[in-house]
Amino acid sequence: MLMEVKNQLRVFGLSVKYALMREMLNKVTFITNILFMILNNACFIVQMLVLFSLKEDVGGYSFREMLLLWGMAAGTYGVSRFFFKNSFSLSDTINNGKLDAYLVQPKNVLISSITNEVETSAIGDIIYAYIMLFAYGFTIPRFILYTIFIICGGLILTSISVIFSSLSFWFSKSDAITERVNSIMIHFATYPDGIFKGIVKIILFTIIPVGLANYLPVRIIREFNINLFLIVIIVTILLIVISFIMFYKGLKKYSSSNLMIARM
Amino acid sequence: MKVIEVKKLSKKFRVKLKEKGLKGSLKSIIKPKYKEIKAVKDVSFEVEKGEMVAFIGPNGAGKSTTIKMMTGILYPDNGSIKVLDIDPKKDRKKLAYQIGTVFGQKEQLWTHLTPYDNFKFFGAIYDIPDIKVEKKIDELKTLFELDEFINTPVRNLSLGQRIRCEIVASLIHEPKILFLDEPTIGLDPVVKENIRTLIKRMNKEYKTTIFLTSHDVGDIEKLCKRVIIINNGQVVLDDTMENLKYHYLNKKIIDAKMKEMVNLDDEDGITILKDKGYNIKIEVDTNKKSVSDALKLLNPDNIIDINISNVPLEDIISDIYIKDDKQ
Repeated sequence: MLMEVKNQLRVFGLSVKYALMREMLNKVTFITNILFMILNNACFIVQMLVLFSLKEDVGGYSFREMLLLWGMAAGTYGVSRFFFKNSFSLSDTINNGKLDAYLVQPKNVLISSITNEVETSAIGDIIYAYIMLFAYGFTIPRFILYTIFIICGGLILTSISVIFSSLSFWFSKSDAITERVNSIMIHFATYPDGIFKGIVKIILFTIIPVGLANYLPVRIIREFNINLFLIVIIVTILLIVISFIMFYKGLKKYSSSNLMIARM
Repeated sequence: MKVIEVKKLSKKFRVKLKEKGLKGSLKSIIKPKYKEIKAVKDVSFEVEKGEMVAFIGPNGAGKSTTIKMMTGILYPDNGSIKVLDIDPKKDRKKLAYQIGTVFGQKEQLWTHLTPYDNFKFFGAIYDIPDIKVEKKIDELKTLFELDEFINTPVRNLSLGQRIRCEIVASLIHEPKILFLDEPTIGLDPVVKENIRTLIKRMNKEYKTTIFLTSHDVGDIEKLCKRVIIINNGQVVLDDTMENLKYHYLNKKIIDAKMKEMVNLDDEDGITILKDKGYNIKIEVDTNKKSVSDALKLLNPDNIIDINISNVPLEDIISDIYIKDDKQ
């Protein structure tokens, strides 16, 4: 079992390495992609500056905490897009029979199929996330917590994507739902949760778990709480387990395809 | 020793039916209609160790579906499959260590990497230690003559070189069975011949069982001693290549250029395939009429040029397809 996990991780590492090498083929595009993503994220700070010049506190967040929330949103997004880019196009992979290549390999089909591409601009997101941590105030414990939360958040985003994409096994086109859910998650992740009340708040902590991926972690970094910390970890594990169950249940219904496909 | 046992295998696909136009689209949203297509029906066969079997049939006959079920890609609806005593449905991973697959239409190599790096990646996928992989690459490099381009990125290789690399990639883990789905598709005759020789050599060297599908009669004729023909999801013929040819060898094709026109209508045992006055092409059923009798009918003095040949394998096969469709 342990050996199997080790081997799977080795393939995962190689996959990411090779995919990154492919992106680096064109140096200029590679670097500008990263830089522009950082700039793009930074633009929103201006928006926030205007808002905070009018009001001191937005939904219970100070300007510094807002930066942290922004960093967290960029970081979680960055992790999921960098390591698991293909989880966002998994519906397409399923519908067009592109899982065949992974099904004949003695490795986990889900992991292999979502890790064979990386998104360069996501590196910019991750760098931006750490710049925001510095702006908030860097300490070693914060750095460690922040890193754990970014990874957990990335895994939550990825799992949600996989869960919704797996619906494609049953109803051939679920990419629209997956896309919607993803963009809602990203959208809400950049607003302070204090402004949401009632049903919306419940949704944000359940069906679309932005609350667990972003709001709770920011709260924990502001003031450490072991219970909340455990909730985030447990929910992450739970979502990963559900995504695997969904995917493998659906895989039995997989119908392949005869399209001509090249691995580009 | 049997390495593949397929018993009463069946697979259905559900296809959504849609009427034409926008109205049809709306209708299919509100009340979708489905049609069941039986892609594979009660297919059974066995393959012995070291055999080279051609699994052929027209487009949509169920070849790919059957191979996909044997390799664990698709789940069968009914029937049982045992490949190397492993059930692909239950032990997909375990089976994957033992078999290799080359799908001519689908690439498994990373195009921006060199074949060498690709092979190393496949080594990792099959949990082979680095030293062993390198040794294996060295060995296969010589066998498949990859020296020239082993360090050139795959995207810069010709199709023939690429297919050779695809085959090597699927051999890194020393599979006991190799599934080849149209390995020579799109290749020129010289490269085709080259690939065939290499496949043969591999079968001899490693005793690898080969299960091949192809529309190229050359592949089938030159590589395989046994043919399984599948049409409309059912096995219509499972025989040795020799038997297949022998059954149809009672027919000869005579292609002749004449000085004067001859009339062969209503002759028993002779079918006129082409009659362009002085040039005629006939098929002689040797059970009914000997070749010499046929030649006498043509009158040897009347012949300028003549060519007598067997019915090409290609025709034999399409004949079987058509006959089966009519039934």
